[in-house]
Amino acid sequence: MSLKELNRRVSAARAETEARGETFYPGPSRVHLAAFPPRERWDDWVELDARAWPRKVEKRYVLVPTTCFNCESACGLLAYVDRDTLQVRKFEGNPEHPGSRGRNCAKGPATLNQITDPDRILFPLRRVGPRGSGQWEQVGWDEALTDIAGRIRKAILEGRGNEIMYHVGRPGEDGFTERVLAAWGIDGHNSHTNVCSSGARAGYHFWMGFDRPSPDHANAKVILLISSHLESGHYFNPHAQRIIEGKQNGAKVIVFDTRLSNTATHADYWVSPYPGSEPAILLAIARYLIENDLYDREFVRRWWNWQEYLACEHPDLPRDFETFERVLKTLYIEYTFEYASEESGVDARVIEQIAKVVASAGTRLSTHVWRSAAAGNLGGWQVARSLFLLNALLGAVATEGGTFPNAWNKFVPRPIHVPPHPKTWNELTWPSEYPLALHELSYLLPHFLKEGRGKLDVYFTRVYNPVWTNPDGFSWIEVLTDESLIGLHVALTPTWNETAFFADYVLPMGLGSERHDIHSYEQYDGQWIGFRQPVLRTARQRLGEVVSDTRHVNPGEVWEENQFWIELSWRIDPDGSLGIRKHFESRERPGEKLAVDEYYGWMFENSVPGLPEAAAAEGLTPLEYMRRYGAFEVRKRVGAVHEEEVPDAELVDVAINEFDRVFARSPKPDSPNVVPAPTPDGDAEGRRPVGVWIEGRVKRGFPTPSGRLEFYSRTLAEWGWREQAIPRYYRSHVHPAALADDQIPLISTFRLPVHIHTRSGNAKWLDEIAHTNPLWIHPRDAERFGGIRTGDLVRVVTEIGYFVVRAWVTEGIRPGVVACSHHMGRWRLSEVGQRQNMATVRLERQGDAWAMQRRHGAQPYESSDPDTLRIWWTDVGVHQNLAFPVHPDPISGQHCWHQAVRIQRAEPGDRYGDVAVDTAKAHAVYREWLRLTRPAETHSPNGERRPYWLLRPLKPAREAYRLPTARSVPAGD
Amino acid sequence: MELFRALGSLVEPPGPAQRRLGELLELPGEPNRADHTELFAFQLYPYASVYLGPEGMLGGVARDRVAGFWRALGLVPPAEPDHLTTLLALYATLAEREAAEPEPARAALLGQARRALLDEHLSSWLGPYLDKLVELAPPFYRAWGELLREALRAERATLGPADTLPVHFRDAPPAIDPAEDPATRVSALLAPARSGILLTRSDLARASRELDLPIRIGDRRFILDTMLQQDPHATVEWLSAEAERWAGRHERRVAEEGDIARFWAARARHTAAVLRGEALTVEG
Repeated sequence: MSLKELNRRVSAARAETEARGETFYPGPSRVHLAAFPPRERWDDWVELDARAWPRKVEKRYVLVPTTCFNCESACGLLAYVDRDTLQVRKFEGNPEHPGSRGRNCAKGPATLNQITDPDRILFPLRRVGPRGSGQWEQVGWDEALTDIAGRIRKAILEGRGNEIMYHVGRPGEDGFTERVLAAWGIDGHNSHTNVCSSGARAGYHFWMGFDRPSPDHANAKVILLISSHLESGHYFNPHAQRIIEGKQNGAKVIVFDTRLSNTATHADYWVSPYPGSEPAILLAIARYLIENDLYDREFVRRWWNWQEYLACEHPDLPRDFETFERVLKTLYIEYTFEYASEESGVDARVIEQIAKVVASAGTRLSTHVWRSAAAGNLGGWQVARSLFLLNALLGAVATEGGTFPNAWNKFVPRPIHVPPHPKTWNELTWPSEYPLALHELSYLLPHFLKEGRGKLDVYFTRVYNPVWTNPDGFSWIEVLTDESLIGLHVALTPTWNETAFFADYVLPMGLGSERHDIHSYEQYDGQWIGFRQPVLRTARQRLGEVVSDTRHVNPGEVWEENQFWIELSWRIDPDGSLGIRKHFESRERPGEKLAVDEYYGWMFENSVPGLPEAAAAEGLTPLEYMRRYGAFEVRKRVGAVHEEEVPDAELVDVAINEFDRVFARSPKPDSPNVVPAPTPDGDAEGRRPVGVWIEGRVKRGFPTPSGRLEFYSRTLAEWGWREQAIPRYYRSHVHPAALADDQIPLISTFRLPVHIHTRSGNAKWLDEIAHTNPLWIHPRDAERFGGIRTGDLVRVVTEIGYFVVRAWVTEGIRPGVVACSHHMGRWRLSEVGQRQNMATVRLERQGDAWAMQRRHGAQPYESSDPDTLRIWWTDVGVHQNLAFPVHPDPISGQHCWHQAVRIQRAEPGDRYGDVAVDTAKAHAVYREWLRLTRPAETHSPNGERRPYWLLRPLKPAREAYRLPTARSVPAGD
Repeated sequence: MELFRALGSLVEPPGPAQRRLGELLELPGEPNRADHTELFAFQLYPYASVYLGPEGMLGGVARDRVAGFWRALGLVPPAEPDHLTTLLALYATLAEREAAEPEPARAALLGQARRALLDEHLSSWLGPYLDKLVELAPPFYRAWGELLREALRAERATLGPADTLPVHFRDAPPAIDPAEDPATRVSALLAPARSGILLTRSDLARASRELDLPIRIGDRRFILDTMLQQDPHATVEWLSAEAERWAGRHERRVAEEGDIARFWAARARHTAAVLRGEALTVEG
């Protein structure tokens, strides 16, 4: 065949393939990964041993993929398992992982430190003596499981299900433990999310139904970050590489960050606003777009719920789009560049310049906020709401280079068993004062227990460290040491933490290479799953061994949770009479325990489209494929789901309401993807919402009550917050007007790029890089507070006490604001604990007055790892969170982290690391913030505890939503 | 021009897209990962910089020149601007843009850019590269190499011979110097632009067989070092003969490639001569 003919043939095939929306050329990114060991050689990979240098000694490896367990990004790792010793020698990136694409941050390879940490917990431990006394005895798994299961069974049988609580920090597999608790029939899930991302989630949720953004940074023209997302946060590694790709392609990067972070240094436009003023700037940009008709009129007309807004807020006006546009032009009239400048301290000309850059993005504006300002301020959720307003104005929603709802870029495969929703409601986690909170009011638990709202019989903390991570840690210690409030505390953790010291059982759980989980996160416009697996189990299986219990290959008696929960559930219901056991039984061998191989084998065979075919093409089963490659891309370029037409099969007995929401009687089609989605109510005749009527078609729309993007949140209006129903700016609790003359805001939330909460303290490489958290203070403020110099000891006085820290005088922080990083200030009470990044401290208590003093910092010690003798640092930072009271946002439930503090020179006798707190004051501050709430009892429009449509982990059955004494008031009260 | 993009894509690790392209181009059999890895990851790295740079390695000044070419076109250079997939895709894109450009002056500029890409960054190394590849590759990739060679020949026939020597050779790294110390000499031998020869792992395995020297696993430099340590005379003689063979191969391409093939041939002849001198020294 001639060259000409061949050329024509390829062109035709390409045109035909692309017309079907498929990719003809997989793209050059595959080329860039050529440096990784080719996957067909993963069974026997040869490298020269670096330690033998300059001799050339060959090492042979089995390469086994898994998923990192440090932050939530779920990046792919490749474990290099030595074929001779069957030990993991190193971790590198997994090139087959579509999210991280073989690239990792420092925390991934440092998994090696964590699994070989000489101080790690290797066996189940039971306390001896009083809680917190630091004495432990080794106990068998069997004994521990029998004891714990017995207590849970008794509580369930006695109708005390609400006394069982599972409290999670770093989640493992999406929905796994929620299903365990649902199988037990209890509303016992508690999470960390309200000290983390509830603020941002609320802003997104009220707009689009889903509570997370999925920005397509790589294809954006303008990238707007209210975060230090190039260096930290979820999902910074996969996102950062795509932000840089976007930048390489000419995108402009705008960063809002009060500090000069590493992210700020990479920005084309960096602004350093006064904390809490971010929405004022965003709304000034919105005003500019609206006033100058620079918004996407068609998108706004089609996809905003402007009809509902006019009907509810301007019932006398004609309900047409032109009227809405006229009203819209008046809504943000006060947000001039000058006003935003006054609030934020950023020059009005700079804000105007940024507004023009944003306007130039068109539908290629990718935006992101996750914690940062949204987690710092009272009303911080409006940061996300105002930010997404810009996307919604430009039509940059689910477009190439725009921002997607996360669930469209996420795939959660349906598991083998799905237990029903529990029929109970737990007031300790979902109190009626916070009907709109995005997650459990977890950090208020000590106050609820102290107030007598309930007690706990069995309390699991799972990779969670509230004593250290949460604000007001001394109140946590008070309740954790009170056995009348918490009957049994079980800490499931891979490593020592401050909360585990106050446990009855400490049960060692596996790290990223020692456990099973399945993950999927929104990191680009596509859907993938990543598989975490015990790599030594898989390596041995590849070499021909049969391993069924992960404990047999993990160090000591470290276990994995999937097997733990299955075993525990069987012991709670050994004969199946409670109806629990059936959710943990094998389908292949009825009456026997479900094995993890069957659990994942079923899932990969039945719930992941395309995986069985991809596996078969290589002569593998789907489970073998996932064990071999660790990840699978389910779908690429999902696109604008809201624009998809609803198929006729779903349109049986259709009804359309006055706002064009379409309801139908056809049942919801089964999907293998069970990603959590909101559940808007159906119509009065029992139809379910299926879409939105737009220009003669039924479009899928968004999972909000209106089916559209909710510029106007009727939910907020009806549940008592009418004044906050559209994106607005309200002054934060640290606004200058709320501060005394000698007070200054403290930012405490920013991260050190190489650490991750308390989980990375057992990684020596990371500890060596970062082990201190000085107080950032601008030279002008240092002068104002008495000529403070770098290294001077200062007291930082909060509402409930103080901490003593060293100053770092730097122009990298905005004048009038101080900052102190998260991650640092780890401590232990005795020689038990992690020694590389924990100080040894003394705690003193007199009534409500608590004091912590440092006995010594980190120091060298002898262990199985010779590097521990080389520890050269003593400083491990200061535990500032102890001195913070709780600040629950009355809407989102988010703890508002920013503190109003006074900076003083240290007093005589003050020592580095000292912390003093009055927990009675802490409780008083809690009561003060509680007064800001608008409880369901007085504000629920329908006698329910919470809008049923909102997302909620472990959603109970509808009947549990009824308030005990239902009483409703008119909307907007 | 889609053909160039398709041929470039076949340098990527094989997957369904490459299988489909193989069928469309009627290449024999199917591409498989083991063959692909063996050929492109272990024998003949598909990067211009390896064959044109002074170190015979990825990156460096040769890659910078290729990246500069992208920039001169107003494009952001990709992460690997000198990878064969990327270069062939760029060639196809320039040709398509030229064909679609209604303004004659702009179309002429695009035509010049395409020609410059062919002269400077493709023809400069693909002659010896494809020569070697066709010798080594299993059937699928051998047919791929032959097809690419044919397509490049057709382009050359349309565009005529290059006017000047490529910049990589106008500013070429020095040829092998008889005064160089042995360690530098080994590096120079492994840098095609300096030695005029392409020494792959399989060539070294062949040498060890022909000379009956045990081969030690390692990088090419390590293998060559150990052979030179074991039997310097025989190894140098073998290398000299290999350089002669390469000179002959290059000369066979002169009619087609002109000065480019002459440059390669001169380098190989020079290397053979230097090594012959050294062999004599070793002998003496």
